[in-house]
Amino acid sequence: MFELIPLRCLKSGQTGEVDQVLGDPQQVHRLQELGLRQGITIEMLQSGSPCIIRTAGSKLCFRPNDALNVLVRPALRR
Amino acid sequence: MSGPDDEKTITVALLGNPNTGKSTLFSALCGVRQRIGNYPGVTVEKKTGNLDIGDRPFELIDLPGTYSLAPRSPDEMVAVDVLLGRGDTTAAPDVIVCIADASNLERNLYLVSQTLELGRPVVLALNKMDLANEDGLALNAELLRERLRIPVVPLQAHRGIGLEELKDELQKAVGAASPSASAPFPEVFNEQVAWLAREANRGRQTPLPRYLVERLLLDVGGYLEQARPPIVDEALFASVRAARQRLAEAGYPAPAVETMARYDWVARVLEGAVIRSDQRRMTFSDRLDMVLAHKLWGTLIFVLVMLLVFQSIFAWAAPLMDGLDRAMGALSDRLTAVMPEGVLRSLVVDGVIAGVGGVLVFLPQILILFAFIAMLEECGYMARAAYLTDGLMSRIGLSGKSFIPLLSSFACAVPGVMATRAIENRRDRLVTILIAPLMSCSARLQVYSLLIAAFIPDRRYLGGWLGLQGITLLAMYLLGAVVAVFVALILRRTVLRGETPSFVMELPSYKLPSLRSVAGRVGESGWSFVQQAGTLIVAVAVLVWAAGYFPHDPHVEQAIRSGYADQLQQLDARLTPAPGQVSRDSQRALQQRAESAEKKALEQRISNEVAAAYMEQSYLGRAGKLIAPLVRPLGWDWRIGCAVIASFPAREVVISTLGVIYQLGGQQNVASPSLRETLREATWPGSERRVFNVPVALSIMVFFALCAQCAATLAVIRRETNSWRWPAFTFVYMTALAYLGGLVAYQVGMLFAG
Repeated sequence: MFELIPLRCLKSGQTGEVDQVLGDPQQVHRLQELGLRQGITIEMLQSGSPCIIRTAGSKLCFRPNDALNVLVRPALRR
Repeated sequence: MSGPDDEKTITVALLGNPNTGKSTLFSALCGVRQRIGNYPGVTVEKKTGNLDIGDRPFELIDLPGTYSLAPRSPDEMVAVDVLLGRGDTTAAPDVIVCIADASNLERNLYLVSQTLELGRPVVLALNKMDLANEDGLALNAELLRERLRIPVVPLQAHRGIGLEELKDELQKAVGAASPSASAPFPEVFNEQVAWLAREANRGRQTPLPRYLVERLLLDVGGYLEQARPPIVDEALFASVRAARQRLAEAGYPAPAVETMARYDWVARVLEGAVIRSDQRRMTFSDRLDMVLAHKLWGTLIFVLVMLLVFQSIFAWAAPLMDGLDRAMGALSDRLTAVMPEGVLRSLVVDGVIAGVGGVLVFLPQILILFAFIAMLEECGYMARAAYLTDGLMSRIGLSGKSFIPLLSSFACAVPGVMATRAIENRRDRLVTILIAPLMSCSARLQVYSLLIAAFIPDRRYLGGWLGLQGITLLAMYLLGAVVAVFVALILRRTVLRGETPSFVMELPSYKLPSLRSVAGRVGESGWSFVQQAGTLIVAVAVLVWAAGYFPHDPHVEQAIRSGYADQLQQLDARLTPAPGQVSRDSQRALQQRAESAEKKALEQRISNEVAAAYMEQSYLGRAGKLIAPLVRPLGWDWRIGCAVIASFPAREVVISTLGVIYQLGGQQNVASPSLRETLREATWPGSERRVFNVPVALSIMVFFALCAQCAATLAVIRRETNSWRWPAFTFVYMTALAYLGGLVAYQVGMLFAG
């Protein structure tokens, strides 16, 4: 019901829940160690490539490529 | 409880995520009692310091900031080896201090969870408590202590708050029991680790630490699988694969099981111990980022900051460079006067001092650049710079992380290449290293300055704002950068093919850079530069001197001096007053002074001619003559060819070599008007045609812009890539490009000028 979108489609100001981190296992693992993993809520601060997102405690900039991508479930706007 | 044990130094390892204030804590604890060393075989530096707590000596080891103890490279393996006390490193530390950023505990505790499995006593330092409060976080350190079963010390390292409590806990932690394994993993996992441990330790003298066995199981395709000396042989690798297979079947595939298990554990530990107020307040960092990280405004500000940095480097360094130059000149004059003529004097004055002077003279520029980079990194702006430049970088197959190394290379490629350590992707890092020398460095600036001042007319445009000379200088810098872009693209499509790397980077909160740590970093980097590059450049300058000195056939000198013998005799006769004549009147005195000045000038001219003749006869001179036909298409005569050959190990040498060859003696420098004049007047041997004109000057500059004339850079490339292949490749490709560039510049220039 709630669609999954790639991270880069999240708009500035939107929040979402990370559903999957996909790609080359080493890079995926690295991203997860940095805190970007399944189940956390993120806020898109500045969309684009690379984008700036806020996770629970930190700000990350991220540019996905074919070897690494993040799928999020955008939060509903009330 | 006294005894020999009390005298033993306690070792403490300091571990934590980047940007947690680890260096601040390290400096706060050790003050000036710190030093940098080396771990053998890797590029990571060994940073240690000393302090006394009570009356016991402690040694602190500052490990590089890391997000996790899963080693992915020899450098990351160093931290694991130090913590486990393996290999060449000393025994395992007595205590491990894990420093965490209190406003980001979730991620920081991931590392703590790994640290707790190392089998050593651990103390958790919660730093930046003030920032956490600002962020609206309430932390219950007592609850954390209960749950983690290790000491937890809240700190504000930059204000010195909490340091005494930390020292207390360190003392108490010595000899304490290691933390009971927090067992974040499911039973199946622990079973597989136990099984694998038995398999691995069969036939081993010293059993592998449990943590390493765990890593073997978890790090699919990780560093441990290809470590040297090998930890895994074929048989063990088969067992590892079997264990991973069983884990995957049980629903816990490696490596995902690690992040799941550890973060679940972290969530349980933090439950109720960290309370986040619902409303997220805009922090100061957030406000700054609205401008500084803005795509348009941020980029504009960034360009301005870069211009400012470079302008300052050149403006502030100039007086210092002049001063140093004068000091070196004075020193060589002194020594020339004091020492007897001969090989030794020439070696010291023309070889060693010229070499040392060459290094020292652009030390101010490099130090100022280091200072700027250190300040920008400390305050957090560098991460934003990497973010802003990533768009451009990714178009040539790199990422924003390549930006700082390439920027540093504009002052000197040696620190630039060393800075590529921050780039994790191997291919990415290699491409950056290979194009770094194309960024026009300070040494090249000397060549540009001389040739532009001598040959580019000082035309002005836009009412005096824009000058042709300035534009030419800018063009030279841009040339290097543009060629670098093409080389990167070509490399990415041929030798170093691969995916454009993804880019992930943390943007730390902004903070005021501490002058103390900036000064410390500049001192360290400056010293390391002098040690590595400096010593090599001096050694190489001596080699070049030798090539330009030997074989020192005294007949050459005799021939020249005998040619001038008559002239000298005449002057001497005029200077000696005839017997009976007294130099009474001032006119006679003036005449005497003029004549002795004339004699001095003649003597100077003779020795310059001698020096030039020696160089022509030397190995260097012969080499210059040998390649003369090769460099003819570039518009160069054998003397330029000679100077260029001499400059191959170190570019700085070219100016003084040109001075000697054109009979001005070796003390010429960039600003010497006489060198400029002489170059303008120089003619081809046996003809009236001038050697130097604008196309020739351009071709020399283009050659220098693109050529790898720096033994120090090649040496550091060898060190950082651990092979001779890449420095050789760099040398070959750059020399080829430089030759082509010089050729094109001259031929095309002649079309326009001729």
